[in-house]
Amino acid sequence: MRLKKASIALISALSLVVGLAVLPTANAATTVKMVLWPGPEGDAMQKVVDQYNSTKGAKDGVKVKMILLSRDNTFAKEAALMKAKSSEYDIYFTASYLVGQHAPYLSDLKGVKDSLYLKASVNSLKVAGKQKALPLDTSLHFMYYRKDLVASLSANAAKYTSIAKTVLGKDLKPNTDPSTWTWDDALGTAAFFTQKYNPDSPTKYGYALPAKNLLYNTMIWNDVLWGLGGNWLKGGKPNLNTPTGKAAIDVYNTIYTKGLTSPESSQWEYAETNSALTSGNAAMALQWNAAYSELSTTGSTKDQLGIAPPPGKGQRTHVHALAVGLNKYSKNQTASAKWMAFLATEPAMKTYASAGGVPSMPRILKGMVSTNASFANIIEYAGKFGYSESAGPREFDMYAALAEVLSPAWVGQKTSGDVAAAADAAIKKLQK
Amino acid sequence: MSAAFSREKRSAGWILSAPLLLLLAGLLIWPLYLGIKTSLMHDVLSDFDTYYTGLENYKNLISEPNFWNSIRFTLIFAIVATLVELVLGFLLAILFDRIFPGKRILFSLMLVPIMIAPSLLAVMFRLILNENIGVIPGILNKFGLSYAIFDQGNIFTSLIILDVISYTAFTFLLSYSALQNMSQEIYEAAAIDGATTLQILVRVTLPILRPALAIIFLLRFLDSIRTFDSIYILTGGGPGTTTQTVGIYIYKTAFIFGDFGLAAAAAIVLVMLLAPFMPSIIRQFNLGTEPNK
Repeated sequence: MRLKKASIALISALSLVVGLAVLPTANAATTVKMVLWPGPEGDAMQKVVDQYNSTKGAKDGVKVKMILLSRDNTFAKEAALMKAKSSEYDIYFTASYLVGQHAPYLSDLKGVKDSLYLKASVNSLKVAGKQKALPLDTSLHFMYYRKDLVASLSANAAKYTSIAKTVLGKDLKPNTDPSTWTWDDALGTAAFFTQKYNPDSPTKYGYALPAKNLLYNTMIWNDVLWGLGGNWLKGGKPNLNTPTGKAAIDVYNTIYTKGLTSPESSQWEYAETNSALTSGNAAMALQWNAAYSELSTTGSTKDQLGIAPPPGKGQRTHVHALAVGLNKYSKNQTASAKWMAFLATEPAMKTYASAGGVPSMPRILKGMVSTNASFANIIEYAGKFGYSESAGPREFDMYAALAEVLSPAWVGQKTSGDVAAAADAAIKKLQK
Repeated sequence: MSAAFSREKRSAGWILSAPLLLLLAGLLIWPLYLGIKTSLMHDVLSDFDTYYTGLENYKNLISEPNFWNSIRFTLIFAIVATLVELVLGFLLAILFDRIFPGKRILFSLMLVPIMIAPSLLAVMFRLILNENIGVIPGILNKFGLSYAIFDQGNIFTSLIILDVISYTAFTFLLSYSALQNMSQEIYEAAAIDGATTLQILVRVTLPILRPALAIIFLLRFLDSIRTFDSIYILTGGGPGTTTQTVGIYIYKTAFIFGDFGLAAAAAIVLVMLLAPFMPSIIRQFNLGTEPNK
């Protein structure tokens, strides 16, 4: 009998505890789950999330929880969730080059003030005229070079001309102003600082070429294509099997096959390009603006880092924005919209920039040039040279397909003639 | 009486197997059904609508040169890597099948690569061998030597070496346990008959261990065919598609090109290509025969 009473008491107590744990309290905050990737963006966003949760979020009745998926596979995991019409996460991480693919699964955003953002960034997140995501970081390319080396060119004009003639078969004179470089100037300079041709060169290679089969490397190669006056499409039709398209492929092919870059660069991407520059093995590279912090403070490039726009007569840099979009299947649309409204304010983006992010708001960037000098270049280059392909919903796929088709020619396994038609075919297939 | 007992025994067998069968259904048959279903659909990320297309994905796959190139590369990679690992693992097992000082420590060290995830090993490989900041190129440079490990001419060898470092411990461990089960008397008899060490190895040890070695080869071969993470991290399948395994092909098709239907079709075809190996493995285990008692 006593045992029975004790059992009833125990069950009642357990039920009470479970009930209290499960039942929501009257003023419980709605939790909004947001996906981002780890790294500088995730670290910076955590500060903004903390700020919101402790101030505005408390008033809004919203608590934001950030989920960092892996840097390599965030988009793959999101793809699976989107296709399953999952409501697991309320806010997805996306980007200009992916928003076309993600658009069917994202709610339209209303009330985004275009005037606060870099035009190229905010516009790149519109699909069929509708804002599908909110810009966070702006990414573009700089031509990074060693100032000390480039400055020494003028004292070696004859040698420069001789090496350029031997390696490139062209009559070139040194140009010590990289902001006015053509691709011939860049290649001539790269040849001059390659020990194979100039044993006195302080660097083993003149160039660090990220030539791995990787879609982000296609984005960098695009600068070469545009710099020579080309484009993926002309009148909506693929346009790489043209003299300009082939010339752009040949720039990479020349760098690799002439040994102006390491033979290992066929497997290089962001990290290896940085290490080639900081270790003093390479004199220049087209690279993402995000590398500035590392390059300006590390190794051989410290205090000697020069920045210029990508070479070419029609200088252009790829520009895209990392962004966040609202999951169409989220069960917390209102709460998510409140958080995103906060994220779209200048104070939120100031916190983001202070914590290491590169927000797409020019006023914020301008105010922080003293802490990161490259912010001034970002504003200038995004405005003057910023460009992105507008190839439709499968643009992301096209970047990947082009990396697959073009990378053998970049590294001399094939010629530009072998791959240009296949590149056009790959684009055409994805336009369907 | 006998027939009733046999029926009862069969029923009890089904009842006792039920939890395992349910688990199999949940973990294997259901995903396989979903895979087959997806392979018959137009299921593309950038297209909101999903609809039935019959065998269209299979037709597209068969006419896709990248798929067949990846199958070819995968088979070559799997055969070369498995053979090297089997030979090395077996030789190491013979070496360890005797008593020598420091055996325990060396044995433990041999097993370390098994405990490291292949993806992590690939990242370590990439850092250690990085031409600009890596330890090994740095040491080679000190001696005036250089070897471009990730040069496209050397990349296949580098990938094989990485796989050998990762998985020789597996073939070694299984070969070693097979050797441990061999009776010492057989060796003694062969020695009394005047057989040399090489003769004992070739004419006694290898024939007796043949079934075990066949299983090790098949298990490792099937696993090599699924290689994905290490190669994806090191080369992304490139340049072009020259180092693209079928696993990388499926991953890219699904998660980069967003074509889940085509990726599912490729996965089903891969299963169909691997399925013929299963009877060979099962046969080696002598399933369905009564133990010798």
